[in-house]
Amino acid sequence: MDFGVLEVANSKAPAAPGWAYVPDTGVNASVTALQPRKRARNQTGTPHDTTAKQDAKILRELAALDRENHKDVSIPVPIRHRDNAGRISHGKVTPGVRKILQSQKTFANHLVDYEALSALKPAATAAASSQPSSIPSTPTVRAAPATAAAPHLTSKGTRSHKKKDPNAVVASTPLRRVSTVSHATNTPQAIKADPDIPMLDAPITLCQGSSPDPAPHPGDKDPLLISRIPGMPSQEEIEKLLAAPPLSYTETTGSWTAEDRRKPVRQFCEVCGYWGRVRCMRYGA
Amino acid sequence: MDEGWWGGNFWAHASQLTPRRDPKFLGFQLPTTTTSITAFYHAKQRISIAIMAPTPGSRRTKSAGPPPPSHTLVVDNGAYTIKAGFSSPEIESPTPSIIPNCMARDREKKVYIGSQLSKCRDFGEVVFRRPVDKGYLVSWEAEKEIWEHEFFDQKAPLHCDPREVGLILTEAPNALPPLQANCDQIIFEEFGFPSYYRCPAPTLNAYNDIQSMFPIPPRVPLTPQLPAEILLLIDSGYSHTTITPLLQGRPLQSAIRRLDVGGKLMTNYLTRLLSIRQYDMRNDTYLVNEIKEACCYVSGDFKADMERTWKGPKGDRRLGYATAGGIAKDYILPDFHTRSKGYVRDHDPNAAGKLKNLTTGKSAEAAEDILTLRNERFAIPELLFSPSDIGLRQSGLPQLVMESLSALPFGLWPGFLANIIVVGGNANIEGYLYRLETEIRALAPAECIVRIGRPVDPIVSTWRGGATLAKDVDTLAKLSVTKQEYEEHGPVWVARRFGGKE
Repeated sequence: MDFGVLEVANSKAPAAPGWAYVPDTGVNASVTALQPRKRARNQTGTPHDTTAKQDAKILRELAALDRENHKDVSIPVPIRHRDNAGRISHGKVTPGVRKILQSQKTFANHLVDYEALSALKPAATAAASSQPSSIPSTPTVRAAPATAAAPHLTSKGTRSHKKKDPNAVVASTPLRRVSTVSHATNTPQAIKADPDIPMLDAPITLCQGSSPDPAPHPGDKDPLLISRIPGMPSQEEIEKLLAAPPLSYTETTGSWTAEDRRKPVRQFCEVCGYWGRVRCMRYGA
Repeated sequence: MDEGWWGGNFWAHASQLTPRRDPKFLGFQLPTTTTSITAFYHAKQRISIAIMAPTPGSRRTKSAGPPPPSHTLVVDNGAYTIKAGFSSPEIESPTPSIIPNCMARDREKKVYIGSQLSKCRDFGEVVFRRPVDKGYLVSWEAEKEIWEHEFFDQKAPLHCDPREVGLILTEAPNALPPLQANCDQIIFEEFGFPSYYRCPAPTLNAYNDIQSMFPIPPRVPLTPQLPAEILLLIDSGYSHTTITPLLQGRPLQSAIRRLDVGGKLMTNYLTRLLSIRQYDMRNDTYLVNEIKEACCYVSGDFKADMERTWKGPKGDRRLGYATAGGIAKDYILPDFHTRSKGYVRDHDPNAAGKLKNLTTGKSAEAAEDILTLRNERFAIPELLFSPSDIGLRQSGLPQLVMESLSALPFGLWPGFLANIIVVGGNANIEGYLYRLETEIRALAPAECIVRIGRPVDPIVSTWRGGATLAKDVDTLAKLSVTKQEYEEHGPVWVARRFGGKE
């Protein structure tokens, strides 16, 4: 019976309850989810096609797996008597220490702060590179947090581990470009101002092993049995490697190799753990 | 440089041994002809590196400071536990205490600090606060409370006066400089340690005798050369797993890699699976952690194990499903009245759990709460090898080892691959080493020998390295910073020094 309702095919699925005709452009995920037995047949596209919604769900689940407790809890530090009754007093609490002790920041907060500050760094280096080295020759100057923002690095990537100066590591090597870390020889300029500081980057020597060579064997010369051993890196190379500055937290995060990306992501049934897409056929929705 | 580090000489000896039949060591199957070994050995150049330690006496020529403290407090400040203890040249065999690095509160609202947790009898619904977040010391408020309780209080188990002992403190690699600065400041300004060495935890492992940790020790016991010349250290802990190549105890910073899978993630994943499939365990992570430690193993053949634990499709049940070829295990949950600790036993299909007994009318008290674990046992540690199973966009540990090596010159690969050591709590998981070795061998160049070893107690290995270092007063003094130097040169200088820059 016609109630005078005009059906309009619009291009977007309605957000509100109700229904509408939509153009059929392929397998609809919501439909296939309702018909799990047809799933294998209906599956198209690459295994990594995830929608924004699925991505958000994965992120949410990962965040849940990273939690310390199931619910948010706060366990305050018990209040203690700060008198000398049987307790070792460590002396007066300095303002800096008090600030650290009272900080409620999480690691995520620190990381975000650090990255935000390091994002400012390239501009700072560019400015600094036009000037001669701005590192103070006497490193006795205490870093006050207020001065931390000042561009304080040389163009040579010399790192100033200033307190509150998270710019430090940004001059570090990009992933896998070890050979560019060549400033090892430049770095100690400022440091040498203080004569009695030892160089931990002491000379490196290549030495022979202490064990005797094994007895020769007639098969040694057999071209089929010879294996080729890559030559050792030179001393400078090793020194360079050892002198490389630490990477930042994000740079050390292991990557997802291209080969692994090509492989389909394994899916397991949530109920029984067997192979499945969302649920295995047995427990299909 | 001693023989054995590269592996060539090592195998020349090993070929004279009888190959072990243990399937665990199948990965170590020896080449069949001696010819190939010797030729192989000869073809390679005798190469090795030694990095000279800083010339003795270059330091300590300095103005008369106070003499270095006679004892050193070695603190491996992990996210889950602190490994701490004293070491000095006089202490014959230093031993660490393992202290939970947390504040916990049970359902009666009683708060436990650090080692007090051992007094807790009821771990139901215990919640935790941990000062170490993602492996890095973040909350000094809580950490100070725990340290005070463990070290500085009058009745502390490891009582000491911070102004009279030196300190070796570990941190996770690639810490944020602001956090490192906070740490230095607290150590000197709040506690007032006279001398202090902060270092990435993996580096201390180089001070252990690593050659004795490999499954087949060298034929002639070598005098350990400390620190180890070359070592690829995999530290798999509570927060994450890091890969650190070390030369002469110094990290190759550009090659350090981190996999964001650690004990916490695995425990939480097991919690989720158990909560979906059996009981709601979301408020009992402590218990789930014990289940994980008792039951989980790394599968040598994931697909086959998965098939074995499959129930089969409807109407076509697999026969061996119930016991799944010995994979199925029952974990008897503690009830915190008669039993405060759970335990594992083989799955018994006839032993009914509490639920079944209730329905058949037997008394509920007699019954036990049983969790039956099947593919959960190996699907959890599988995350280390296939993080994408939970949507984590990282490659597995073996791939990351290769990624780490790819940042290094090819000439160092044989040395690193032949000297891989696994430490941290996850190294205790059964089957971990075998699987890691098999997969790395598959990825590594065919000529390279892959050896993976594990210390007897992988949890305290880092601490033991630190204790050994503390016995060598001169080396430690060269690495440490004194309070006087801190006051003279300031925190920036200290940070640079620990960063290996001065």
